[in-house]
Amino acid sequence: MKTRPASFGDFQCAHCRGIVSSTHLLSGVNNRNHCPYCLWSCHLDLFAAGDRLSACKAPMKPIGLTMKKGRNKYQHEPRGELMLIHQCVECKSLSINRIAADDDSDRVMTIFQQSISPGDSFHTLCQENGIIILKVEDSEIVRTQLYGRYSEIPALSWR
Amino acid sequence: MNINDKCSSPVDENDIGVVFRKTLGHYTVHTHGREIDCTLSSLIHKQLIFPTADPTSLRHTVHAVRELDHVDPVAIGDRVRYVDAGADRGMITEILPRDSKLSRSAPVPGQRVFEQVIVSNAELILPVFSAANPTPKWGLLDRYLVTAEAAGLSTLIVINKLDLAWKNPELDEEIDVYRRIGYAILLVSAMTGEGIEELKAVLQNRLSVFIGKSGVGKTSLLNAIQPGLGLRVKAVSNGEVGKGRHTTTHLEMFQLDFGGALVDTPGMREFGLWDIVSEELADLFPEMAGYVGQCKFGLSCQHDREPGCAIRKAVVGGSISPYRYQSYMRLREEL
Repeated sequence: MKTRPASFGDFQCAHCRGIVSSTHLLSGVNNRNHCPYCLWSCHLDLFAAGDRLSACKAPMKPIGLTMKKGRNKYQHEPRGELMLIHQCVECKSLSINRIAADDDSDRVMTIFQQSISPGDSFHTLCQENGIIILKVEDSEIVRTQLYGRYSEIPALSWR
Repeated sequence: MNINDKCSSPVDENDIGVVFRKTLGHYTVHTHGREIDCTLSSLIHKQLIFPTADPTSLRHTVHAVRELDHVDPVAIGDRVRYVDAGADRGMITEILPRDSKLSRSAPVPGQRVFEQVIVSNAELILPVFSAANPTPKWGLLDRYLVTAEAAGLSTLIVINKLDLAWKNPELDEEIDVYRRIGYAILLVSAMTGEGIEELKAVLQNRLSVFIGKSGVGKTSLLNAIQPGLGLRVKAVSNGEVGKGRHTTTHLEMFQLDFGGALVDTPGMREFGLWDIVSEELADLFPEMAGYVGQCKFGLSCQHDREPGCAIRKAVVGGSISPYRYQSYMRLREEL
């Protein structure tokens, strides 16, 4: 059953109480679910991103990072889009969400570092749901995607 | 039921008829086999307020004049008292009490929102949708169903253009959502005649009304039910898929040969709720009504983010369709 996209307005984060703007110009995403400061989200989508069909509406905790594979199937290294993995604190369901342009990169890095410790239960849960959680060996890719390469900064490259 | 049956009244039944057609300022009243072209008494347009609130008082001075909150005081299906002016002309002087009414809100630009009574004294509402071209708008169906529930009217969901169902493979799954709630659904095709006999059996001896957006085939169905009518129909637009052409432009009630009457309406793209408050909205969704007041927030629960809300739990548990819950939330935002 198709539904029209709901109108998404600005909201107050249920976790850190920060005021979040859903303006596309700031975030670069259409369906703003998570807070750019604490990266907590809200369980609003059920079948697809932006469908707003979930009645759970409980807070979702950021638990790790994954990589959405790019369209170039011949590339060797996983250079897709960096995605956040959220877990609902009530129904424990998982969802992956695009990192928005105004998300706190340091906070994303902290979540990645917390998630790479082995033995965490959500690693198994992610595997069961077909989500490949990023590990220690992916640190360089995460750092590059969040902060870029030094060689790509013009002011440093000619020095 | 016959249109004339509605004319019977213990008081002066010669001057009572049923409105079955209306065009700008003119109302065709059916009474004892005659059609009378009536205008409207100006007193029906406004309500006079007297200082004693009693129009029969000796001091008969008007204190104020209050405009009424509806677009048109007379609706199709109304039983009215009229003054016969001869030559099949007359003037409506009184609208008799209605048994039921199907209303929507009609926003007038630059003014407030008015009530538009689509049809009165109807017994059955038939929301008509097409299997494809245009594809069904389930949110619009939920609006019709809520309005019918609020008016206490029976409904039969009619899915037309069954011959095009192969263009909408998800249709069965979507229809099942409403079947599980308990709504009656009839699949028909005005083109092939499938389901028309069943539809005729349902329409017999009662006043029914077709509602739906433009291009779903309401008038085509009416032509299939009663071929002698020969009403004007058009194919949906080829340019934009699923856009009707608003072929029917006025409301009209038709007497059916096999007994009963049916009101054909123009396509309605918008259907705002009228006289429904947000607190009672969940009661108008039959599958949610049983959960109202079942959580710790009682009747003050908004069913939005309250922890432990029984309706949200039922949605998560699969007892209530998430699409219907989403419809509920959208409608609640409007109220």
